[in-house]
Amino acid sequence: MNTHAYINILIVEPSSIIYEGLNRILSGGGLRLRVYRAENFDAIEQCILSKKINVAIVNPLYVQNNEKGFHSLRSGYPATSWVALVYAFFDQRLLSLFDGSISISDSPESVIQLVRQNASTENKETATEEVLSERETDVLKLLATGLTNKEIAEKLSISINTVITHRKNITQKTGIKSVSGLTIYAVVKKLVSLDYLSE
Amino acid sequence: MYQTANLYLSPDMKMAEVVLNNPYLMLLLEHFGISAPLQEKTIREICDEHKLHPEVFLTFAHLYNGVDYKPAERFTYREVRSIINYLSNSHSYYLGEIYPNILKLIQEMFHDKSQPEQAMVEKFFNNYFDEVREHLNYENDTVFPYITKLYQKIEERGHVNLPETYSVADYQEHHDDIEEKLTDLTNLLVKYLPNNDEPQVRRKLLFTLFELDYDLTIHSKIEDQILIPLVQQMENYLSRKTT
Repeated sequence: MNTHAYINILIVEPSSIIYEGLNRILSGGGLRLRVYRAENFDAIEQCILSKKINVAIVNPLYVQNNEKGFHSLRSGYPATSWVALVYAFFDQRLLSLFDGSISISDSPESVIQLVRQNASTENKETATEEVLSERETDVLKLLATGLTNKEIAEKLSISINTVITHRKNITQKTGIKSVSGLTIYAVVKKLVSLDYLSE
Repeated sequence: MYQTANLYLSPDMKMAEVVLNNPYLMLLLEHFGISAPLQEKTIREICDEHKLHPEVFLTFAHLYNGVDYKPAERFTYREVRSIINYLSNSHSYYLGEIYPNILKLIQEMFHDKSQPEQAMVEKFFNNYFDEVREHLNYENDTVFPYITKLYQKIEERGHVNLPETYSVADYQEHHDDIEEKLTDLTNLLVKYLPNNDEPQVRRKLLFTLFELDYDLTIHSKIEDQILIPLVQQMENYLSRKTT
């Protein structure tokens, strides 16, 4: 069991042989992951919209004549890492549009390693600190007393979206998602007392 | 989760060898109602004895081994009985064995209720257990009988009345994620719950939570990726026949 959820991986590759082989390598790498497949460029965005894709492994074929589309995809979904899957010659400039690349001659270990690195960059950015920030603590305290996101937003004069972002960060840092679980955390950390809760 | 040597299984392998590679497969066998000793029998032989399609066993066993596997042939509606048998046996394991075990360990770990968080953890788990029980009972009492009726209707070519308004799509909506609070509890246990005099109990509790999570993860994969699509096929088949 991991403290974090699954790593969602999207493979965008026309060849079933390559797709199945890569899928097998990824599944055998000890990572907690789910693998999805898209078979054309438009399906990429649909997949990212419905699942939270951490790493998209894309055959550069799909990007070659559609760099503009790829740019807007990248900027639209900054949380996703983009890795090129290379087994034919592509211009170095094209490959530089990606965060990394897998070559067909790479060992399974180095493929797993690359995916692991790319899947964790997002966590690094948002959750380097173990301790909750002051604002996150405020949100957590109010959450523990049973307030809804909307009520918390009003009380702290912030937007609901900001509350949701704080909650996501709290969950990422603690590994706890449910309100009742977070309440126990808040009591253990002495952020709230039981008298405060029963008020 | 238990890491295996990623053994790729085939129907002519010895069942015992497969279990020795990953002892959790003993639980899989139990869910299928198969018990040891396994002697020198192959997977195919044991499956035949229990009227279980070997591909169903192999697909589930690969899930336990964490190996991606595509069954050689598509399951037909006939396999739905073994799948439901597996799922309802796992429900008995959850409700009758593992959840009560966890509750007992929590009570043992927190027998001193002077600390507020200890009573909270017990309450947290009890509420969670209630949710799980409700979910599993819903499957036992509504979803599985519905699927059994679908099966009978296909098998007997008519003569069975289906509830007109129900479909497996309702089930998908009802299908809550019962793994979330389990992860919460595990995180609290490992990272935050204060020290007490019972390190062994904490460890036992942790192992039990992992065992449950392991089985639950596979359980929901089977429901989402195997059972629901199969039942949808059955529904489509029947609606084509009536129109």
